[in-house]
Amino acid sequence: MRNQISKPRDLSLKGKIGAYVILTLFSLFAIYPILCVFSISIRPGDKLLSKSLAIIPDQATFISYYRLFTEQPFLKWMMNSIIISIAVTLIGVCLAATAGYSFSRFKFKGRQASLLAIITTQMFPVTMLLLPMFIMLIKLGLYDSYLGLIIAYSATALPFTIWQMKGFYDTIPYSLEEAAMIDGAGPVYSFWRIVLPLALPALAITALFSFMSAWSEYLVAAVLLQNQDLYTLPIGLKQFTSNMEVAWGLYSAAALLVSIPVVVLFLFLSRWLISGLTLGSIKG
Amino acid sequence: MIKSSEYSPHSRKLILLYTAPAMIVMALVVIYPFLYNIVLSFSNMNLTHFRDWSLKGFGNFRMVLADSTFWYFLWKTCLWTVLNLIFHVSIGVFLALILNKGIKGKSVYRILLILPWAVPQYITALTWRGMFNAEYGTINLLLERFLGLHVSWLSTEWGAFTACLITNIWLGFPFMMIVALGGLQSISDSYYEAAEIEGANSWQKFWGITMPLLKPVMVPAIILGVIWTFNNFNVVWLVSNGGEPSDTTHILVSWVYKAAFTYFRLGYAAAFSMIIFTILFIFSWRFIKSSRAVENIYG
Amino acid sequence: MIGKIRKYKIWLYYIGAGLLFLFSFLVLPGCQSNTTKKIVVWTSLRPVEREYLQKELDRFGLNYPGYEFNQLFYAPEELRNNFIITALAGKGPALVHCASDFIGPMSELQVIKPLENIFTQQFLSEFIQKPFAANTVFQGHLYQIADRVGNHMCLVYNKKLISKPPQTITELITVGKSLVRDLDGDGRTDTYALAWNYTEPSFAVPFIGGYGGWVIDQSNHPTLNIPAVQKAARLIYDLANKYKIIPPECDYETANALFLDERVAMIINGPWSWGTYLKAGLDIGLARIPKIDETGLWPTPMVFPMGYCLNINLTGQDLEIAKRLVMHLTSPQVEMKFAEMFKIIPSRIVEMNSPELQKDELFVHAVDQMMVGKPMPVMTEMRWIWDAMRPAYQGIFTKQITPEQAGVEMQQLAEKLIAENRQ
Repeated sequence: MRNQISKPRDLSLKGKIGAYVILTLFSLFAIYPILCVFSISIRPGDKLLSKSLAIIPDQATFISYYRLFTEQPFLKWMMNSIIISIAVTLIGVCLAATAGYSFSRFKFKGRQASLLAIITTQMFPVTMLLLPMFIMLIKLGLYDSYLGLIIAYSATALPFTIWQMKGFYDTIPYSLEEAAMIDGAGPVYSFWRIVLPLALPALAITALFSFMSAWSEYLVAAVLLQNQDLYTLPIGLKQFTSNMEVAWGLYSAAALLVSIPVVVLFLFLSRWLISGLTLGSIKG
Repeated sequence: MIKSSEYSPHSRKLILLYTAPAMIVMALVVIYPFLYNIVLSFSNMNLTHFRDWSLKGFGNFRMVLADSTFWYFLWKTCLWTVLNLIFHVSIGVFLALILNKGIKGKSVYRILLILPWAVPQYITALTWRGMFNAEYGTINLLLERFLGLHVSWLSTEWGAFTACLITNIWLGFPFMMIVALGGLQSISDSYYEAAEIEGANSWQKFWGITMPLLKPVMVPAIILGVIWTFNNFNVVWLVSNGGEPSDTTHILVSWVYKAAFTYFRLGYAAAFSMIIFTILFIFSWRFIKSSRAVENIYG
Repeated sequence: MIGKIRKYKIWLYYIGAGLLFLFSFLVLPGCQSNTTKKIVVWTSLRPVEREYLQKELDRFGLNYPGYEFNQLFYAPEELRNNFIITALAGKGPALVHCASDFIGPMSELQVIKPLENIFTQQFLSEFIQKPFAANTVFQGHLYQIADRVGNHMCLVYNKKLISKPPQTITELITVGKSLVRDLDGDGRTDTYALAWNYTEPSFAVPFIGGYGGWVIDQSNHPTLNIPAVQKAARLIYDLANKYKIIPPECDYETANALFLDERVAMIINGPWSWGTYLKAGLDIGLARIPKIDETGLWPTPMVFPMGYCLNINLTGQDLEIAKRLVMHLTSPQVEMKFAEMFKIIPSRIVEMNSPELQKDELFVHAVDQMMVGKPMPVMTEMRWIWDAMRPAYQGIFTKQITPEQAGVEMQQLAEKLIAENRQ
């Protein structure tokens, strides 16, 4: 008998130091280009390139950020993007959670074919789909409106999220639901009360991914939206570019601000990503 | 086990209710465009035959397959995809494993490591392009200072390829990391405790417990990662400034874009897209079958 | 946590339902399609110019209360592609404001209207005809009414670093050598004489004209394998590698960065960039690109008009209003305002020669360069010719092939592309 059974998540001192070193190195790798973007945003004169390696350039100024809010409809773009992205996220979570469960637990004709079909929707190069998709959305009267965008975005986010949910559900033993059904619970109950709470990490990923698909999408929105009041952030950012000249100051400031809601959402969702909620109930 | 024959109509309705909405939404957006492209690929639609196009059989396909640049870029695209995925997955899983342990300051690291995914691709790709600039780029400045090396990244074919690769690895590892993190949550500590008692070392624990349980969650991400990377037009286009040097830095999709919107060879581009699609389809089919990811509790 | 959820379940349901209800109010407005008629102009103009354009649109709109007038921004490539997509589907903006070279593909795909029967002869005669026509006629039809001409590159020089621009290439080299300096003694050059986006074929084309040739002949076939092309490429190559007065690797952003940092005395760039340089506080002057000594000719930057094309789907009342809008936006007053505020060269004869504009030094020199420019070819093949030039041309600077060899390859590729795309 060992005098000390180390817990699986503990690390020896050597392990801890190693972990910190690796994490710090990768964090630097991850963050350096973003610091560059930051320094472009505070650099005077709209310059993308600079000889100096300094993160804080000479005569740094936050005027780009100021102008973003006062001279540009940045807040309106952000509101529009938030609305659309939340709608897509809600739809994505509801549809993927249920469809994934169905693919994981039920048996029906065409199950395997449907799963494959879902993935095949991702294989076609987007640029070739633009014209026909546009024609179809016009015929359905969804041109120049949010609904068309929301539908298009949901369709792009669903394949991954459904597969993801299914994969996660596969790791939850069916024995739990069997036990519940022996006790008289119906399939809906066992889905809602038993399986879903255990699948929270996957739901978090689904939410994050759906949000991101809508938040950062440009191509389809640029073709569909014809009303400046409906503009989303990616289109808004594009406004700072023009024929060969880019307002780099405004652009990089906007780019950084645009990342903040994603990070906030990630923070909010990460407690389910890391929780360990699922542990304990699966023992034995 | 509930056999399908024992499903009451209530349950069959349930299946429909759960699955149909998702399938309808996807079908709506994809089926008509897809069929449209199939027809186009057999047509001769281009500038000369635009309103009055007609079907011409397999001619477009033959043209695509006979062009040696197609095969060259196919090989390049496969190399691009494989390399990217190897790095994305290994870095992502590696970091997820570390972040799953009991160390302090996890939340800070998690946020820093997700930033490449969160910041809009357009500007980070161009920032990387700036960093690879031979004269003024940070990378060469650092290389020269510490290693005395000077590499002409963007003006050589493989230099540009490597530049795009590094940029895309930077852009892509956070996603795999998050998926792996989520997957690791479903692995109960008790498995590791049991293995510890049996005297397993870290390596055995990883391959025996972590990998098999992580697989069902990672497989969708990997398959889709392959498909997305294969079709990732943005990064290559932005970092290489549209294929430079000399149109050698291309993957298949950027060629399709060019054929469709610069040369207006729509029939040809549609055929090209169908070929890309077929390649990906065959690959995914085999991968999915072998990883048994379409199976569920009923097999 | 699951326990807590159970306890407050009812409340959560109510709050959730309430939020969804409120939320739908936010989403729905975006889902309605407007019933006011809209006349939309798509353009790639800079933000400051678009602001003024919107003012003019609003002014025009006062006469038409049932209509809404708007402008939308698209980057040039997208402008063209998205316009083609939307027009083919039967929709799209009423007007598209673009450079004349979009007319080739757009007219062939039949997404823009021929205009010769829509505007009167008298109106059209007020626009510039010499040295080239402002309003573009292509394959027998008029397709665009121009609101500005020129849009060409000039030699832009920083008066602080060089007081008088060189007149010939020899002068450029002599003066240039003195401007190349290694300021911090690290063995790498820190300042250059001239920098510009020379790896892009269209930025090198002026020199081809300077050697007496051009990229196409009278019947619009590519002529890339001629001595003029080879000599132009050889000249630029020598400037970089023999005389070393331009950086060995230089793209658009690098050249801009160097010029803005005042590390290079001269740059070759077009009117879209002059505003940025002025805003950065540089004291710039414009001049003709220096003369080629061997031929005695001035280099010929490509000159092109930009203007308004009408969507083919326009009919009836909408068409009439769109036509009047074009006339308003190209009226003398509006063109003069654009010229004064943004240094545009007007497309109308009278306005271009107006005394007020002659007072502006930059304007005068820009027109001066324009006079020795060559009109940009409008046909669709032009784009493919650029594409055909690019690989071999860039191969010269990566030292893979010689300029002479490049000429052969460019011509071959151009012919191949045209043949393939026109099958």
